[in-house]
Amino acid sequence: MSNQYKGLKDIFIDTVNKNNYVELESATYNYSLLESSLVKPLKMILLFGKPGTGKSMLLNKLYHNLKEHYEIHYFDAPILSEKAFLRNIYESMSGQVIPENMRVNFDGLLKYCQKLKEKREVVFLLDECQLYSEPLMEKIRLLSDTRVVKFVITLHKTDDEDIIAKEHFKTRIWEVIEMQNATEYDLELYIQKKMIQKGFIEISNKIKKKHIKYIHNVTKGNFRETNKYLYTIFDIYEYYEKNEPQKVSGKRFSKKILEMAAIRLGYINA
Amino acid sequence: MRKINELEKKWYYYRLKKFLVSAVGFSTTILLILLAYYFYIIQKNSSLEPKTIYQKNVLGVSKIAIANQRLNDLNKSIIVAKKLPIEKLEEVSLEPIIPVIDMAKEESIKYVKKSQVKRSNSVNEHHSKLVKAKANSYLTAKELSQITKVETVPTAQPHVTKKMKFQTTSENYLETMQKKFLKSKNARDAILISKAFYKKSNYSEAEQWALSANKLDKNLDESWLLFAKSKAKLGKKQEAINILASYYKKSHSAKARVLIGQIKTGKI
Repeated sequence: MSNQYKGLKDIFIDTVNKNNYVELESATYNYSLLESSLVKPLKMILLFGKPGTGKSMLLNKLYHNLKEHYEIHYFDAPILSEKAFLRNIYESMSGQVIPENMRVNFDGLLKYCQKLKEKREVVFLLDECQLYSEPLMEKIRLLSDTRVVKFVITLHKTDDEDIIAKEHFKTRIWEVIEMQNATEYDLELYIQKKMIQKGFIEISNKIKKKHIKYIHNVTKGNFRETNKYLYTIFDIYEYYEKNEPQKVSGKRFSKKILEMAAIRLGYINA
Repeated sequence: MRKINELEKKWYYYRLKKFLVSAVGFSTTILLILLAYYFYIIQKNSSLEPKTIYQKNVLGVSKIAIANQRLNDLNKSIIVAKKLPIEKLEEVSLEPIIPVIDMAKEESIKYVKKSQVKRSNSVNEHHSKLVKAKANSYLTAKELSQITKVETVPTAQPHVTKKMKFQTTSENYLETMQKKFLKSKNARDAILISKAFYKKSNYSEAEQWALSANKLDKNLDESWLLFAKSKAKLGKKQEAINILASYYKKSHSAKARVLIGQIKTGKI
């Protein structure tokens, strides 16, 4: 029985994996918007939202769905060194491997792109772009101006800094897709689908609307927080199942464990 | 394992804290509701009274005490009241426009006329008619005997002087009634006094007496109406309407409703 909860908590480990992607109404809408934007002659597409709203997951899904149809490359982790970034761009486009003792010259890369104009269109998916430096962002902008390279970038939306207002984005981004936190309904679907996909139907049925409401209330509909919270809940469940099974033998989902997990994660003060 | 146990302890503490907060919140709410209800009841019961108390406090003197004082001052000049029992006044004085003593006067005038006529007749006939008249008069047997005694004296002048003492104005009526009120503390008497003052256009006195009547009997329709009418006459129309409205809410008095209409249309 304890294995059941171990397996269950593992499905909420936060990973960016297309197999863990859960179809939700809001995500489906954003995905179709993103897909249609790629067809348009846009230089840059900005996907932004608060952390944990599913940007990386969406980018990942886009990559896996379109890699057969487009010349598409996905940088899931930010490459902070300019040298390494240019090398990766060139290697992705040319298919060649640059020796370690050599570097890619930016002017050379720009000329290489210009030569490919109207011959090829390469899409780069860049995650966590708020970590890139200003000069590197400027180079990304110049590359996109060649119209050979198209960038889909994700950015964290922060309260104190409106990144879209920055000059290099203001003039070039033609499509902005904003990701929102999940609604209570979305969150319910997310949890249920995730559990049912992995065969935890019985436990999934125990989770009622009031529990979803509580979860939504403490996580504010943030998917990353929800994953973390559910992982903690089932971690406690696993412990009780192993050591004090009478405490989790009821037919109802334990409100006590919900609150204990919230205390452990600091959502509520004890 | 130790971690989960500690977490569980924290959870128990959290639940206890939450319960205490809820209990305190609930108790406070209940207490507030009860207090609100208590004040509502108090306010409902007091109706006009709080205003009276306020007026009393401002003036520092009870209105009844004032009336008492005035009566004491006037006491020396009252001649008639001793002759007529107050109980008799109460019987007839339903409408203060017709002062009771005026009726007595009327009776006495009739009596004088009759006696003048009778004087020309035989003494026996005169006596027998006087006896008949006694049944319709407001005088007691004792008084009648006194009057008869006076009438038997052949000189008419002293008798007429006595009648003049009966001659009263509404002032006399008020004095008598006020004195009566001091003894009886009857709300109806206060109403009659208030009405008399109202007729005399002394609206502030009328208001005070209506208030006194209301204090004695809150269910007395006329106390409310007179109080409001006097207020309206004193130019406090809105206040009068408010008082009537609050009374109408409680009693559904048709008179109060009509009076509100009259005040609003300026008929009063």
